[in-house]
Amino acid sequence: MAEQLLSGLKVVECGNLVSAPYLGKLLADFGAEVVKVEEPEGDLARKRGPFPGDTPHAEKSGLFLYLNANKFGVTLNLRNPKGHALLQSLCSQADILLHNYHPKNMASLGLDFERLHRTNSGLIMTTISYFGCTGPYRDYNAYELTGTNAGGWAFISPGASDYPELPPLKAFGRQADFQGGVHAAVATLAAYYHKCLTGEGQHVDVSVQECIAAILEMNFMHYSYAGRETSRLGRRSIFPWCMLECQDGKIFLINVEEDQWQRLVELIGNPEWAALEIFKDRVTRGQNYDALFPLLQEWAANWKVMDLYKAGQERRICFAPVNTMADLFASAHLQAREFFTQISHQMAGTLTYPGAPIKVPEVGWAIRRPAPLLGQHNAEVYGRLGLSQAEIEDLRKQQVI
Amino acid sequence: MARPPLEGIRVTDFTWAWAGPYCTLQMAHLGAEVIRIESQKRPCVTRLIPPLADDIPGPNRAGYFNQYNQGKKSLLLDLARPEGVEIAKKLVAKSDIVVQNFSAGAIDRMGLGYETLKQIKPDLIMISICGYGQTGPERQYMGYGPASVPLAGISSLTGYRGLEPAEVGISYGDPNAGVFGAFAAMAALVYRHRTGKGVHVDLALWEALLVLMPEGLMDYAMNKTQPERDGNRDRWMAPHGGFKCKGDDDKWVTIVCGTDAEWQALCQAIGKPELAADKRFANVTARKANEDTLEGILTSWTKEHDRWEVTELLQKVGVAAFPSMSNKDLATDPHLATRGYLVQKEHPEVGKRIHAGIPWHLSGTPCEVRHAAPLRGQHTDYVLGNILGFSEAEVLKLRGDQVLY
Repeated sequence: MAEQLLSGLKVVECGNLVSAPYLGKLLADFGAEVVKVEEPEGDLARKRGPFPGDTPHAEKSGLFLYLNANKFGVTLNLRNPKGHALLQSLCSQADILLHNYHPKNMASLGLDFERLHRTNSGLIMTTISYFGCTGPYRDYNAYELTGTNAGGWAFISPGASDYPELPPLKAFGRQADFQGGVHAAVATLAAYYHKCLTGEGQHVDVSVQECIAAILEMNFMHYSYAGRETSRLGRRSIFPWCMLECQDGKIFLINVEEDQWQRLVELIGNPEWAALEIFKDRVTRGQNYDALFPLLQEWAANWKVMDLYKAGQERRICFAPVNTMADLFASAHLQAREFFTQISHQMAGTLTYPGAPIKVPEVGWAIRRPAPLLGQHNAEVYGRLGLSQAEIEDLRKQQVI
Repeated sequence: MARPPLEGIRVTDFTWAWAGPYCTLQMAHLGAEVIRIESQKRPCVTRLIPPLADDIPGPNRAGYFNQYNQGKKSLLLDLARPEGVEIAKKLVAKSDIVVQNFSAGAIDRMGLGYETLKQIKPDLIMISICGYGQTGPERQYMGYGPASVPLAGISSLTGYRGLEPAEVGISYGDPNAGVFGAFAAMAALVYRHRTGKGVHVDLALWEALLVLMPEGLMDYAMNKTQPERDGNRDRWMAPHGGFKCKGDDDKWVTIVCGTDAEWQALCQAIGKPELAADKRFANVTARKANEDTLEGILTSWTKEHDRWEVTELLQKVGVAAFPSMSNKDLATDPHLATRGYLVQKEHPEVGKRIHAGIPWHLSGTPCEVRHAAPLRGQHTDYVLGNILGFSEAEVLKLRGDQVLY
């Protein structure tokens, strides 16, 4: 097998839905051997779509298939003491244990760092939770929507909103969970690097709320530097910064510097209104949004999205198409970079998946196997722990695996 | 004495704006010595734009810069000058990691491309971040953070039901690329430790966002369709939304019931046991079918209550309720304070201000923000003298010649 950045890392993942499974996926896609431990009823992602034909099927969830390619899959009952013993054996040979069970339930599920660390002093255990393993909100229940609001992101989203009566808006999907996963990947690998140098393991506690509060652009500081509470309401301080309707879809436009505005005015054909005092700089244009927006919209309505995108970008003006999923699959740029990838799965068939988040020549991202069926690698993985076929069968009968 | 995990790792930081600085911020959080190269000729936009401390202008007073450059050092260096490029190369020779987020190809034209730097430092780890990546037909296109969100298809999926595609309130592509860059650098450090080899990483804001959208992209892959914009609602859970609270202020609480048991508990806790028996809400399928009615009933209750009162009442019975937090709520939050997340380091010009801190705790190698963000050029003498071995006279001359500028 080809060498990758993380070849040789041994990882056990007890993950549900997105945060810990995405962390496991990042490690697996860059070469780590990841054993995914599912409880007998399976990762909850198996019950979430999208599904082919919108028909739920535990082996055909697009979310699960995407997040768990490259992993070996075993089942294990974490609510059973024999299950805890088996988890301990799995972890005794691992570098890293990842999970996103609620901190208040960790010990009862056998995810007890002190105990696991006693049998493997090099073990790193990473816990991703919404509020972290300490503090007054530790025991709170939460979901992705809770996380994106608790971290302060939703309160400023969508930004420049025209709808004060509508609530703070989450971004599509499970962004807070993903951010928990990627930030945890940074901390986990730093801990692993320390292990490479010293042999020591440790516990990594990652809070989704804190990951989100770290990515609020300048909003967090508006309060501590100038006493301002920012929200999703109000106008952009600079303009143009908007979406415009073209003949065949929407396009996004932003001008940050004055030279970009000058080139936009040229592209429009130097109309008389562009010389008006009220449009003289980005701030006055922001203040006079109501006058300028209709003029830009009227002009853009004559264009096709991709023509305007190309014409604008070739003049160093930042336009971007408001892409649909179909547009993305058709993008010549993404095709040239071979972003999308095909994976064949014995139940779900061959599908086109999102590919590498980063490109590293030769030793980077690769797909080696599709997502596991529920319990697909029980015999192989537990066999490697030294269990005989009879013992594995016995554990199955006792509903441990 | 426990040390942070990247103690002894040095980073030459050519980044600017947000994506690159957020990448190297992670490294500073982990204990690396991050040396940010700045020039007065081309100041970082984050030093210029509001919020400025107490609304007083000044390059060292900007909250945006001071948040994302905590714990780093600042070297003033003009890279348009050949002498500046030579000094940068000397620093790279003594560094482990280089991070840059200029537009594709720009760093090569400056004479500091990967192939050049590899000659100086054969096991160099270099992270190159830009909007579209270093290759492909659109690689020269401008990829500002706000544009990355509609470009990646997030806007076409995000928005209130029946309304237009939405932005997401932040330049999401930027910090996301930054944290992926830090992940790549950590993986590369592990690889270098194992093999002695370095790598060059090509990171596009666009692609790093696409990998976070499987619910949209896989729907298209399977069904040639995509989910409709549906506000805060969830296909598999109800209630799942933000609800207006008592008073005229813009105060909201989120409530999610992920199971029928949580829904039953909610009905009892809010004193409406009749809802628990109501067939319209008996299971998630029924609650999804009657979600408008359900949200109306919940809103009529939340409007009578404070958001923290709702949170405590519902969390007591295990229901996921929590306020939609503002910047002020976060900066004054007792939970974040207890966890040591809120950082207030003395800064010579702006004093102690509350900043967002480190989102992880490492039990064996504790991380902390070592000092406030640097003044522009604060560490120029240190870097030239202590790291690169220039004499005081040489430094004086370089400063006079405006190389250190």
